[in-house]
Amino acid sequence: MPSEHSLETGLRLGQVDQDGAILETLERVQGDTRTGFLRNATIGGAALLGALALPGAGRAQSAKDVDILNYALSLEYLQAAFYTEAEQVRALRGRARRAVEVVGAVERAHVKAFQDALGAAAIARPTFNFRGVTENQRQFLKTAVAFEDLAVAAYKGQAPRLVSNALLAVAVSIHSVEARHAAWMRYLFDITPAANAFDEPLSRQEVTKIVASTNFVTAPGRTERKGTPRFTG
Amino acid sequence: MRIALVAGAVAVLLLALVAVRFTSSSTAAAEQEDASLPAPSRPAFVIPKPEGLAGEGAPSRWTTVARPVSVREAADPAAAVVASLSPRTPEDTTNVVLVEGSAMDDAGRLWIAVRVPALPQNVTGWVPRSALGANSFVRTRLVVDLEALSATLLRGGRPIFEAEIGIGAPAFPTPTGEFYVRSKLRSLSPFYGPLAFGTSARSAVLTDWPDGGFIGVHGTDRPELLPGRVSHGCIRMRNEDILELGRLMPVGTPVTIR
Repeated sequence: MPSEHSLETGLRLGQVDQDGAILETLERVQGDTRTGFLRNATIGGAALLGALALPGAGRAQSAKDVDILNYALSLEYLQAAFYTEAEQVRALRGRARRAVEVVGAVERAHVKAFQDALGAAAIARPTFNFRGVTENQRQFLKTAVAFEDLAVAAYKGQAPRLVSNALLAVAVSIHSVEARHAAWMRYLFDITPAANAFDEPLSRQEVTKIVASTNFVTAPGRTERKGTPRFTG
Repeated sequence: MRIALVAGAVAVLLLALVAVRFTSSSTAAAEQEDASLPAPSRPAFVIPKPEGLAGEGAPSRWTTVARPVSVREAADPAAAVVASLSPRTPEDTTNVVLVEGSAMDDAGRLWIAVRVPALPQNVTGWVPRSALGANSFVRTRLVVDLEALSATLLRGGRPIFEAEIGIGAPAFPTPTGEFYVRSKLRSLSPFYGPLAFGTSARSAVLTDWPDGGFIGVHGTDRPELLPGRVSHGCIRMRNEDILELGRLMPVGTPVTIR
């Protein structure tokens, strides 16, 4: 449950995603905004059809599956950015540092797979401001536990909703990997890796609320524009 | 004796028959069971092999300025102010700073050491992490050689671009030191060519120049003057060169002028 996640990891609720990018993504699969998403996808010409052209064995047969894939991609973006920044900042020590390299590479592979599968319908990568968490060993591990637990519960929540069995096979494969990551981060944070006999799923609303509470999604800076320079010349 | 041998042979035969029957019935049951369980679904796609980050060594890190903030001499809210930062540049782009380190103060607040676009050149100082935005990382570095009148872009330490340049005339020297790229303008002025990068370097002479006398790296409408000491401090290059540099050099790239 979200409250348990919050209490266990210390993540605070109530801070708000500044530009709403990831929340919009997460909420796209909600009834309220679903129509708008589908309309946007259609406006993009063959974007939706392009997204359905999955490589390899399968094809997502429904817009619902595309929604769920984009929802998964939004969480993978968050995780990949988090671990990649931690690796690049180089502030972590010991086993946490090694874990970041391994898990970060896996999350980036997840991102690439979803992007390739979704094609033109893949959502854009949001901008993340991790507010110094990647530079503090304890805060980093606490947040990593929260993210991994969240991903496990989110995959569990959506997998049964997938229409395509071929996509369900992918989701289950990723879900077990995320569960391994969760156990690894819990071990590094010195909390019991697997204490429960049964894991509960989380709904999209619950996941969205937890992600919003981090305030990690921010508006991108605008460092390019058209104009007349006033440099010294 | 003969009777015992015959009885033993019959017993062995019976056991063998039972064993065969049992084995065949087990196999049949297993086959029947297999037929009742479908094969695993073939995944719609497979996840590629995880790969480590490209490039060797630590990349350069830059970040946006999220709110107006004083830059201090030390990671301490009581330390002297050496400069100030605003969230916007004079070109109306998001202001960015190059990150050079971090430290925690006694109260547990994270401070970031940044290079500051201010005079005197090469000022660095400390700002609270809370005043900064998202981190970005680059593996490029632009090296400007004032003696050789050339600019070289390195990626991962290897040169990927080189061009002849124009630099400041003796009366308007191009400043030397460590700087960074903080904006990219698609220029609307022929004088600057089609593209201009804004840097954190400032002219020490033209301090009253509009918007503070910042040094740019840009194209030109006078390519016949290159290479040479012809500018007011900016680094000029031919338009085809600045366009190529525009494809290769991201904002946040460190700039060494020597």
